[in-house]
Amino acid sequence: MTLARFVMRRAAGGVVFALVVASLTLLLARLVPGDAATGEALVMSPEERAALRAELGLDRPLLTQYGHWLQGLARFDLGQSSLFKRPVADLVGERALNTALLAAAALVVASLVGIPLGRFTGANRGLLAQAARTASIAILSMPPLLSALLLVFIAAQTGWFPVGGMTSGRLDGTAWFIDVLRHLPVPVLALALPLAATLERVQARAMAEAMGQPFVDASRARGLSRDRTLRVHAWPASLAPVLGIYGVLVGALFSGSFVVEIVTSWPGLGRLLFDGLRSRDVWLVAGCGAAGAVSLAVGTTVADVLHAALDPRMLERRRT
Amino acid sequence: MNRQSRFLLVAVIVLGLSALFWWNGETPGRPGPIQSQTPAIARGGTLVASLRSEPRSFNRLVSRDAATDALTLLTQGRLIRVNRATQQVEPWLAERWTTSPDGLTYTLTLRQGLQWSDGTPFTSADVVFTIGAVFDPASKSVLASGLEVDGKPLVVTAPDALTVVVTFPQPFGPGIRLLDNLVIVPKHKLQAAVASGTLSQAWTPTTPPAEVVGMGPFVLTSYEPGQRLTFTRNPHYWRRDDTGQPLPYLDGVVFEIVPDQNAELLRLQSGQIDMTQQQLRAEDYAVARDLERKGVLVMQEAGVGLDPDVFFFNLRPAFWAHDPRGKWLAADAFRQAISHAVDREAYANTVFLGAAVPVHGPISPGNKDWFWPGLPRYSFDLAKSRALLDGLGLSNRDADPWLEDASGTEARFTVLTYRGNSSLERGAQVLKENLAAIGVDLQVVPLEQGALIERMLAGRFDAIFFYYVASDTDPALQRDFWLSSGSGHIWNMSQPTPATPWEAEIDALMTRQAASGDAAERVRLFRDVQRVFSEHVPALYFAAPRVFLAMSSRVRNPTPGVNRPQLLWSADTLAVTPAAPSR
Repeated sequence: MTLARFVMRRAAGGVVFALVVASLTLLLARLVPGDAATGEALVMSPEERAALRAELGLDRPLLTQYGHWLQGLARFDLGQSSLFKRPVADLVGERALNTALLAAAALVVASLVGIPLGRFTGANRGLLAQAARTASIAILSMPPLLSALLLVFIAAQTGWFPVGGMTSGRLDGTAWFIDVLRHLPVPVLALALPLAATLERVQARAMAEAMGQPFVDASRARGLSRDRTLRVHAWPASLAPVLGIYGVLVGALFSGSFVVEIVTSWPGLGRLLFDGLRSRDVWLVAGCGAAGAVSLAVGTTVADVLHAALDPRMLERRRT
Repeated sequence: MNRQSRFLLVAVIVLGLSALFWWNGETPGRPGPIQSQTPAIARGGTLVASLRSEPRSFNRLVSRDAATDALTLLTQGRLIRVNRATQQVEPWLAERWTTSPDGLTYTLTLRQGLQWSDGTPFTSADVVFTIGAVFDPASKSVLASGLEVDGKPLVVTAPDALTVVVTFPQPFGPGIRLLDNLVIVPKHKLQAAVASGTLSQAWTPTTPPAEVVGMGPFVLTSYEPGQRLTFTRNPHYWRRDDTGQPLPYLDGVVFEIVPDQNAELLRLQSGQIDMTQQQLRAEDYAVARDLERKGVLVMQEAGVGLDPDVFFFNLRPAFWAHDPRGKWLAADAFRQAISHAVDREAYANTVFLGAAVPVHGPISPGNKDWFWPGLPRYSFDLAKSRALLDGLGLSNRDADPWLEDASGTEARFTVLTYRGNSSLERGAQVLKENLAAIGVDLQVVPLEQGALIERMLAGRFDAIFFYYVASDTDPALQRDFWLSSGSGHIWNMSQPTPATPWEAEIDALMTRQAASGDAAERVRLFRDVQRVFSEHVPALYFAAPRVFLAMSSRVRNPTPGVNRPQLLWSADTLAVTPAAPSR
């Protein structure tokens, strides 16, 4: 299989995946008791509530609603949010960029911390390496909600970083960029720490495994220093399994951002989804589900393509 | 006295009266002072408050969510307003009014020289336009039902630019208080939307803020979705303090959108915000007190909350048609026994950490006009409770701790409550323990809010423990709760005819109470309503929390009320010391 064909197959799979996820999200959101008219039920007469349900199209059979939504989807119309009274596509578009920024920054930080640390702990057995391993395991056992609250608490106590939000005001250009950078550390660290710990663990195992390979011994026998052997031979060979888990990490990023965005008031998709779920805004929930699935599909495809580019055996395995 | 002397005397009197009016600032055409303010309040500065959610609309006529309401308090005006600290009606855009002898017609005089925030003159035509927009079916206004009396709308006319005549379709006790619900919107900005039947799409969150014109102390200058709303001083705002200083004191207000309540408190602690949208939770008191001791923030008690948590059984006969438990529940004695079994003092101490007062009915001591200290009470008396249950044939006939009737049906119920609401979840556990002492078992099931409401609407529940927020302190404006036909008659909603004689009695009393123009008679009738309610206990109340607010130490001149938003309702008189919060 060529790389181009591989990419096309993954892209087609991503579209189907996004459609299935969005449809399931819609279905589940619709099956949960209550709807967009429930929130105001205590201040409405039954007739007013019925009129509101009819206006929102909630009185139609589920299949009719789904069909209508699919028709819209073909035109990139994700419906109208009953909560914000705006097109879902506009709302999702505004927030998806913010989530993408947060996720990308977290992925970069996790990679910059986790991979070098894993390389170190995989190749060494000293006290420092043991301490790093222990820290990774501790962080891995911490859910994003807890890490986010802890970081927000530290930020509040020390005043080192803003406790929440994405900006401090309406700014433009460089000022906006610097302001966003100031607000990034808390949510990015909350998201990145568990990912960094995961990468450290995977990289350490892969590194330890690579160091036991005959080509590493041969390099040492040829007189290469330990450091050079690790850097030039063992580490590149250990990267394949690390790249392999990036697809999974992208998924973890999006599920983690759901909680982190709420705790740190980051205006992203996670918060939008939360608002949609609370107010039973099914079209908004389905739109957020679709956006999340598309992001996940793109993320995993990119990770797999990179993996395949670096390790052509992956294409070979698919051919067989 | 000759003619010249008389003329001189009249001139002196006229000049003297004019000077007096001038001194009071009540010269016609000049917005005058309304209430005393602390003299040395400096103008300037920006106050940063939090909002837990985003506005669904900038148009209060079509949206009633908390964020839209908060935005409206800052940007729009009313003819009169209910002061949330005193709970009394006070003049606002209308400076005075008279009432016809039959109590049906109110003639309001608008303040002279008022302007919308864009400089357009404010006239009675705007009021007539607003009421027309509210009652236009195409507008689907959420204010319409709140401005009707028994389903009939108010009629508003404008004989001249400064006079508005409001005619009620029938006598209505709260009278002009009803107009606190009426947010006046600008005719020159919204008449095209009303004419085309598209008011529900006007002033959405995508509308440029400059289009959102109002009579409030501030104007919206920007909305950053998911982040914040920014307001600046309305240059045409009409109000002055008693030193003649124009209000508002603040240059601007920022609402930071912070959906999580824990994060909200941490932001207050870090100085990123000056105040939170609503009161502290009981579990936050200790932290806030500690921060107050360190000088980080200031705590203030607004009073006793208006809406105590409520516990009620499903009293729809159809639900229990094939269940023997329905027979006990239909008996007043069963619900009275439950009420006797709850130690309200201990409940207040456990659930609200002592920051609550025991209550025995839906009207808490926080409701200054309508609370009745003489309401019959159900003392904590387990022996009496057991005797009442025994009288219903409920006794423990086997080895387990629960009561049974003669057929062996156990006194066990499932109670639904809101998931994630800590005081409700703690309260439900306290109730479970209290009722276990008399042999009644409660299985507590926390549900997400929408799911619980849906179960309640469908009538599929044994019992519910939740909170119900009243729209006003006046009971005549809460008839949805009291009347058997009401959508807020939570134990048996929207009945075509009263299911029980006592509900029919309450209906009759409330109808008379709402129609009476005699304040003393209204009080007497409502006490009768409360007496009947207390005797038949369709819903049980245990404690009303004291409302504690936390704000940064730079906030000046707060006038807290117990209703949300407790501080921002009087945003024009709020002030801050110069240092801005660090964001």
